[in-house]
Amino acid sequence: MSFLSSIFGKKKSSASVAKDRLTIMLAHERVNCKLPYLDDLRNDLIDVIKKYTSVEDVKITSQNNQNLDMLEVEIILGKK
Amino acid sequence: MGTIITVTSGKGGVGKSTTTANLAVGLANLGKKVVAIDFDIGLRNLDMILGLENRIVYDVVDVMEERCNLSQALINDKKAKNLYFLPASQTKDKDILEREKVKKLLLSLKEEFDIVLLDSPAGIESGFEHSIFLADRALIVSTPDVSSVRDADRVIGIIDAKSEKAKEGKEVEKHVIINRIKPEMVEAGNMLSTEDVLSILALPLIGVIPDDEDIIGSTNMGDPIINREKSISAESYRRISRRVLGEDIEFLDLKVKKGFFKRLFS
Repeated sequence: MSFLSSIFGKKKSSASVAKDRLTIMLAHERVNCKLPYLDDLRNDLIDVIKKYTSVEDVKITSQNNQNLDMLEVEIILGKK
Repeated sequence: MGTIITVTSGKGGVGKSTTTANLAVGLANLGKKVVAIDFDIGLRNLDMILGLENRIVYDVVDVMEERCNLSQALINDKKAKNLYFLPASQTKDKDILEREKVKKLLLSLKEEFDIVLLDSPAGIESGFEHSIFLADRALIVSTPDVSSVRDADRVIGIIDAKSEKAKEGKEVEKHVIINRIKPEMVEAGNMLSTEDVLSILALPLIGVIPDDEDIIGSTNMGDPIINREKSISAESYRRISRRVLGEDIEFLDLKVKKGFFKRLFS
């Protein structure tokens, strides 16, 4: 950004708008992108948990922010 | 045993075939025995970029269907004697490739060549899957624009899901090539920078190619730009070729050279 525009506060450059839009868009799309092993993992988890307690459902969701990939596992044990 | 490297992008028209042609020549000039295969069935193009369209007798489908020998279909490049080319078929049925036949062909090429370079079709359909499922490495080409980066990101997400290597618990080695960057536009904030694209795609960079009108001329002539001595894009391709072989080569300085006044006011 040039000297004059930095004084008068020019609006954001189109490149930085593009970067922001892409970052948000892709963060969203990547979550929806299904991991191929997710179903197998879910079934295995259910089997392991069953050894210890009863289980109603296991939900796995993938999270992605910047440099970190995460899997969030929610184990629903069911009613008492 | 050679290495299978797939050049891919998701979006069409970002320079996959041009990149494939230039890297094929570059790698062959570095002494590697290279075969470049056009996997864009029905939309053959690599032949014209390499300037070999008049020598085609058989194509990749002829080989797979055993209508000819591999050696009959392979075309030796005019200049780079280490480079061979296998053209795509111009059949209208783009789903003609069969997985087992693709596998057989690629494995036998791997025996014979140091590098098998695959020019994948745009899109994420079966043609793309065939070009990626045996890949050891992938070079993802993207231009610094929103649609290209977005599609590149999708393709990156799919590569491992479709690859045999990933099924064996290994990973396809992936690198990004940023094509057609315009330093003056980046400087002015009107184009995504190399750093922007890399931070979004989160993969290592293997090369940046500046936007170069001379590439159109070299495609017109059927002579890949890498054959020109004095050209900045040719130099980029030469450096990428060396990096593909594992050499640690400095990136070209594509920054706009600033004049005195500009520097004063920025």
